[in-house]
Amino acid sequence: MNIFMKRFGWALLMLGMAQPAFGGSEMTSLNMVEDGRTIYERSCLICHGASGKGDGPAAFYNAAFSASRARDFTVGNYKFRSTVSGSLPVDQDLFRTVTDGIPGSMPSFSGLSIEQRWQVVAYIKTFYSGFQEETPESISLNGSPIPSTAASIQRGKALFEEMDCASCHGKQARGDGSVALAGELKDSRGLLISPNDLTNRTGWKNGTTVRDMVRTLFTGLDGTPMPSYESQLAGHKEDAWHLANYILSLSHHE
Amino acid sequence: MAYGERFFQPCLKTALALAFVLFSTSLAGCISEAEAIPAFARKYEVNCHVCHTRQPRLNPFGEQFLENGYQMPGTEDGGIVAKLKYGDLTLDQVSNYLGVLFATTGIEHTELKREIEGSGDQTELGSPTILRLFTAGTITNNVGFFVETTTIFGRSSELELGRAFVTLNNLGGMNWGHLRVGRFDPSAYFSMARGRPQFVPIGPKLAPPFGAFSTPTVNRWSLTQSAYASKFYGLFNRSRTAIQPYDSTLFNSPEEVGIDIHGRPFGDWFLYQVGVLNGGNERAGDSNNSKDWYVMTRFDYAQSHDFSANLSGFAYFGNHNAKVSTNADVSRSRYGVGARMRYKWLDIYGAYTIDRVTDLPSGMESTFDSTATGVTVEAHAMVTDRLLLGTRYDHLDAGGLLATRKSATFVGVQAKYYLRSNMAFTVRDDFNVRNVEGGTSAARNLRNRFSVDLSIVF
Ligand code: HEC
Ligand code: HEC
Repeated sequence: MNIFMKRFGWALLMLGMAQPAFGGSEMTSLNMVEDGRTIYERSCLICHGASGKGDGPAAFYNAAFSASRARDFTVGNYKFRSTVSGSLPVDQDLFRTVTDGIPGSMPSFSGLSIEQRWQVVAYIKTFYSGFQEETPESISLNGSPIPSTAASIQRGKALFEEMDCASCHGKQARGDGSVALAGELKDSRGLLISPNDLTNRTGWKNGTTVRDMVRTLFTGLDGTPMPSYESQLAGHKEDAWHLANYILSLSHHE
Repeated sequence: MAYGERFFQPCLKTALALAFVLFSTSLAGCISEAEAIPAFARKYEVNCHVCHTRQPRLNPFGEQFLENGYQMPGTEDGGIVAKLKYGDLTLDQVSNYLGVLFATTGIEHTELKREIEGSGDQTELGSPTILRLFTAGTITNNVGFFVETTTIFGRSSELELGRAFVTLNNLGGMNWGHLRVGRFDPSAYFSMARGRPQFVPIGPKLAPPFGAFSTPTVNRWSLTQSAYASKFYGLFNRSRTAIQPYDSTLFNSPEEVGIDIHGRPFGDWFLYQVGVLNGGNERAGDSNNSKDWYVMTRFDYAQSHDFSANLSGFAYFGNHNAKVSTNADVSRSRYGVGARMRYKWLDIYGAYTIDRVTDLPSGMESTFDSTATGVTVEAHAMVTDRLLLGTRYDHLDAGGLLATRKSATFVGVQAKYYLRSNMAFTVRDDFNVRNVEGGTSAARNLRNRFSVDLSIVF
């Protein structure tokens, strides 16, 4: 399954990658934004809209009856981050989304060159002034993965119950929790949103490796009911790895 | 790896076997997912609505993807899979390239007027069943391809090659010109693309004779888009078989051999297309001494998130692309306008065309009407997240031999219920608006047709 390889590869790259070498002088970054605008208008506008509000001519069809509508870049609310809940994403987070796409919702734009992807990232940041003023606060994944032993998986299963993931994701983690079935889960745009079936990784949006999973638990998916568990896990962060080991063990994938 | 190699050999049995393997794997894959992931959607891991309003209709993003030769808009690369070498192909990756359409008629009831010998009301169960395989994608940067085969079980049951072409994208600069070479549907970028109706074309029922320059008896009129129909009575193709007035032809032919180029050099609001074809509905080769050519322009308005519209016009210049029964060549040309409007789940589109026959043999002018027109208007709307209601109006003002020509007007209504986004039941009824008019022509004989169909794409 090349997709898993790809995502894992990216995770490694992201960890090792420093901020790109652009943005030195004012001139360079202005050019970068201008070039980014051209790319945006050709590749992104159709969904994200001319003014970045997520109201392009194709946006409606992506999510007419339920989530997820193309992102509104003017409100600074992002799902796929390596930063604490409520914080803006760092550039690498945005770059990763453009490169990998978002399963189900947005195709990968790996067809753009790496330089073009950084340019379009620079451009979408201009839709929200917060990117100039705020400094995103990164989360720490706290160590490296814990081997997925039977004991670890057992601990993860207990945590799954303790932390009440089931109310949304269901007892069997099939995305059919009582709150979800009651139709009470909405995203920040008021669209009905369904919690993922955690027994099938193919539809996950924020990556499918154990590291991705732990990051999702710490950051939460802002703008959706999927909360950040950072404060709940404070003091015993290693539990996040056990929980992730359990969830991944449910997948029928190899 | 073995799959990859075999896949590129034109071996029918393997193709069919592969289809069934895919059928089972894809279906198994789909059931546990929120949304189905057929064909391109599989490759890019997105759901069908990223490109379609409802399959086969495209939304504005799907149109841009198509225009860019199966590459993401604004890119020169097919993305993820394009970089693979054929030798590396696994079944998984083949399924990213191969799509399958399966459609079967559960019940079909046809009410005929019983004036033509051998006809009468008919109820049929379980036929015909259509299996279409198509493979498309990109080979490398700015090179795309599309190949399809169709098998109609219960009719010929043979695997027939349909469209097959290569695209060379972004010639001269991003979106300046995209070239297609091979056998394609010229009208793919037109406001009312021939091949993307919610009302699928219903084939005719014919009775002999089928010989050269003979016109078979049509028991059941074929329900196709009248705007795109041939419209003339008494015309024949180069192999001397009758071109029926309802056959889709010229700019709106399902497959013509030729070359064309389209692009948007001035931005999203304007598209041009110019092409040259063998013409004459020839499946392969070129027995035509001369070529047909066409030009199309399209204007797009797509600003808001729930409204978009476009308007297009074309002129198709035929050159000795048909025959009359004396074996003399005539030329057919077509001029047309089309429009489409999408507002939320409402999708309305239509086309009006004027066809002209020129170069008639002297003496025939008094018995042959050389002008004909056709109009088709289709509208549909999603009324819930699973139910699509639609209607279509077709009017054909026929031309050709004055003694036999008959105009035809049909109205269709249909309800399509989606079990999943790639699987739908359709209940459809088409009726003849000219029921009360007498006569035994095919345009009158079909009174009503009702059917329940199932279609799956994966
Ligand atoms: C086919 C429509 C479509 C196109 C084209 C598209 N996007 Fe998106 N995009 C979406 C949708 C839908 C979402 C929201 C998905 C979700 O919330 O799960 C999204 C979300 C995003 C996000 C937010 C990720 C987050 O962390 O919340 C970014 C950044 C983004 N897109 C960038 C881009 C860029 C840059 C381009 C052009 C290169 C682009 N998109 C083209 C549909 C599209
Ligand atoms: C209040 C409801 C709710 C609770 C409680 C909840 N989730 Fe979620 N979760 C969601 C929703 C909704 C989504 C889908 C978000 C989307 O599609 O954008 C989601 C998505 C996910 C995903 C997929 C992320 C991705 O990459 O797409 C994982 C994994 C996940 N949740 C794990 C958990 C775990 C583990 C717990 C318990 C510790 C938990 N969730 C608790 C609502 C919830």
